[in-house]
Amino acid sequence: MRTIDDFTRPLEYLAPVDKHLGDIVRAWAEREVMPYRRQYDEDWEEHRLIEPAFRSLMGELGFQRMLFPEDLGGWGFGHSGYTATIACRAFEEIARADSGMAVAFGVLFWPLVMICNEPHVNRRLCEELAPMFCDTTAPCFAANAMTEPQGGADIENMEIVGGSTIETTAVLDGDEWVINGHKLWPTNSGGVADLFGVVCTTRAGSRDLDDFAFIFVPTKTPGCTQSGPYQKAGMAADKNGDIWFEDCRVPSWYRAHGPGLDAMYFKEVISFGNMGSTAFVVGAMMNVYEILKDFCSEQNYRGKPLKENDDIAGVLADFARDIDICRILAYQCARMIDRPDLYGERWSDEIVAKGRGYKYFACDRAVENLKKAMNIMGAHGSDRLWDVEKHWRDVKIVQLWMGGKQLCQMEVARWFYECETL
Amino acid sequence: MDYQELFPVPVEWLQDVDRSMARTVADWADAEVMAGRLEHKEDYHALLLPAMRKLLVDIGLQSMLWPEEMGGGGLVTPDAAMTLAAVIEQVGRADTGIAFVLANTFALCSTFAVEPHRNTALLEHMAPVMCGKDPVIGSLVLPYYSKDPDAAAFFGLPYQVAARSDGDGWLLNARDARPQCSGAGAYAFGVACAGEGDEPMLVLVAPHLKGFATGEPFKKTGLAASINADITMDGVRVAGAQVLLTGTTRMRGMLAWYYTLCAAACSGALLATYEIIKEWGDTRVIKGKGQVFKENPLVASLLGEIGSKMALGRLLTFNAARLLSAPDVYGPAGSPTVATAATAAFKLAARGAMEAMDNTMELMASAGYATEWNLERYWRDVKTLESCVLPETVAQTDLARHYFDLKEI
Repeated sequence: MRTIDDFTRPLEYLAPVDKHLGDIVRAWAEREVMPYRRQYDEDWEEHRLIEPAFRSLMGELGFQRMLFPEDLGGWGFGHSGYTATIACRAFEEIARADSGMAVAFGVLFWPLVMICNEPHVNRRLCEELAPMFCDTTAPCFAANAMTEPQGGADIENMEIVGGSTIETTAVLDGDEWVINGHKLWPTNSGGVADLFGVVCTTRAGSRDLDDFAFIFVPTKTPGCTQSGPYQKAGMAADKNGDIWFEDCRVPSWYRAHGPGLDAMYFKEVISFGNMGSTAFVVGAMMNVYEILKDFCSEQNYRGKPLKENDDIAGVLADFARDIDICRILAYQCARMIDRPDLYGERWSDEIVAKGRGYKYFACDRAVENLKKAMNIMGAHGSDRLWDVEKHWRDVKIVQLWMGGKQLCQMEVARWFYECETL
Repeated sequence: MDYQELFPVPVEWLQDVDRSMARTVADWADAEVMAGRLEHKEDYHALLLPAMRKLLVDIGLQSMLWPEEMGGGGLVTPDAAMTLAAVIEQVGRADTGIAFVLANTFALCSTFAVEPHRNTALLEHMAPVMCGKDPVIGSLVLPYYSKDPDAAAFFGLPYQVAARSDGDGWLLNARDARPQCSGAGAYAFGVACAGEGDEPMLVLVAPHLKGFATGEPFKKTGLAASINADITMDGVRVAGAQVLLTGTTRMRGMLAWYYTLCAAACSGALLATYEIIKEWGDTRVIKGKGQVFKENPLVASLLGEIGSKMALGRLLTFNAARLLSAPDVYGPAGSPTVATAATAAFKLAARGAMEAMDNTMELMASAGYATEWNLERYWRDVKTLESCVLPETVAQTDLARHYFDLKEI
């Protein structure tokens, strides 16, 4: 009998721990998430159902320690050479159950990538922050505070605006940064995160990337406040809200790396986001495949199971083909991040652009295929009992975040066609 | 907003009553729904039910098809199709779920309230309720997939309800049949089933009949105004007089009305989408504050796509309504030509609406899926409507059967 494990992955790319970790995450998802996920939409504000599942995965099973060095209580994946490939497997398994949980989990590592990943480990900051994540069985979240009210994801548009639209400022006062600004929409905001990685500028309006700063701010720092979560179309497990920094003071060495390097390594964050987004939609599509296979085997049209009708089989085939292709792409994207010796630095324009391309291709295919899956299922396509509509709402959100499709298109065009004014 | 200026439809087909009703409903939409939705979201009891009461009873929409002498609006000729399209479009602009509920109700009523199929006895019987003080919802129970490969079927799609002759009436049986809307609150159901000689038949069934049971309301993607639940019929007996129609042509005619009115609901959702993205495109700037959003060429190319789908969806909707409104010119609503055109209009209007809304969400990014901006509710509503009204592949086969003269499927 065919299962989701029959969708192709480049086996030679996989980490030695792939099966072990994948099995653990899959068992957790089937035990702790899938039986309850239909109630998550109503749990968007309180997380009464969602939080225990996070506690189990991140704290008790310990996945929040993955990136930190072993001697600090972590699992040492930051220097494993398989960071992205391991993450890709975990993301698709979690997203198979719930994409919102997958992104909340994934974004936990987003700011930590800046300091835990070889070759740019900031040992002092790792030592400072590791206890938050490694010395507890409670879930500990981090978030990247990037998007701002005035320009949305324009901040990610580094090539064009060069950080000049960032209005959150960091001013050095003695041995402390004083941060002021307003962010909105970060995953794991809305009261969830314990630690922010704040994108800010040391000189407002500057296009000099030396002035781009990435500074860690524990959320309990005086002057750091958050709104409650926004209500949105899906992804209840991913809380988003406003964050305000008012004369927020942190030690000067809480800056990830310093002038020029913060901007450079920040692009690596984008690469991980592209890979993660691709893996999320693959996981969602694989679960819809499982559901659709059951539905189309049981229900009849023209006197035979739906899947035995040529026209419906054609749509099902397209869907399976796209899952196979997108899964290969997700692991290829991860491989390119993991092996700079083969593909170049993971923060390079090339890796960022190609990752953007994979991300928006996979998202486009996921959105289209899930729409068609709902159409095949007719009255049950929009019925929450079947979970397909939930995945449809969620993958649409993945398609739209990180600057949405248009920013992806511009970065791809800029790199492949050497555009100079986009 | 002057939609006729932006997205014109042939004005010569619209009568004064159509325009007047549409204006009244547009005012209702602004005052009763759109003004309160930020606060109440999609709350049925706080927002949608009071709005429906106002629309159906106070404004009098639910009695539109009843003769004036019975207290109705007197729209008893096929011209009513144009009025209903204009009205439901405006309802859909406010709330696509309410529009969908109305599409069900009016499609059901069209089978016995509109010439040449007026059933005076039934109209008189229902007049006190339809022209009364409480909102009334009708729902359709249409053919759908079945776990039984041998179930009787309408062009290959199994009926959800089995009918057996019982003297001068019928005994109906169904297990967890899924109504199109409002299974938990409909006043009456139009149930499709196979009658004598497997002829298609639509039967009016009241939920208070013995053997009729309603399941628990289920959660769904959108269309919050429809509190839906599966229904079970265990030997429900209906009198022969409750048979609303028999035969393929009449069944297709009812479906033609239904699909056209659902297209109008989609068109209304697009008008609301237009208002949202217009404001967004006028007021946002990108690329370092240098460019008004809509003036970016890439954005403009998508806005062009969105606008053209809005224009075409509206044209299709009103053209389909015109076909229904003039049987002397185009033939009966249930003729293969008209019924197929209505199916095509609905599928293209719904698909175009989904594509336009998907593109709009792409332009609005996170604001597109935040409830605060309202777009996502229309997006969920139209997707729900598109998938539940008629499965895609079934529609494609139906269209091919007519256009290419299929013989075997």
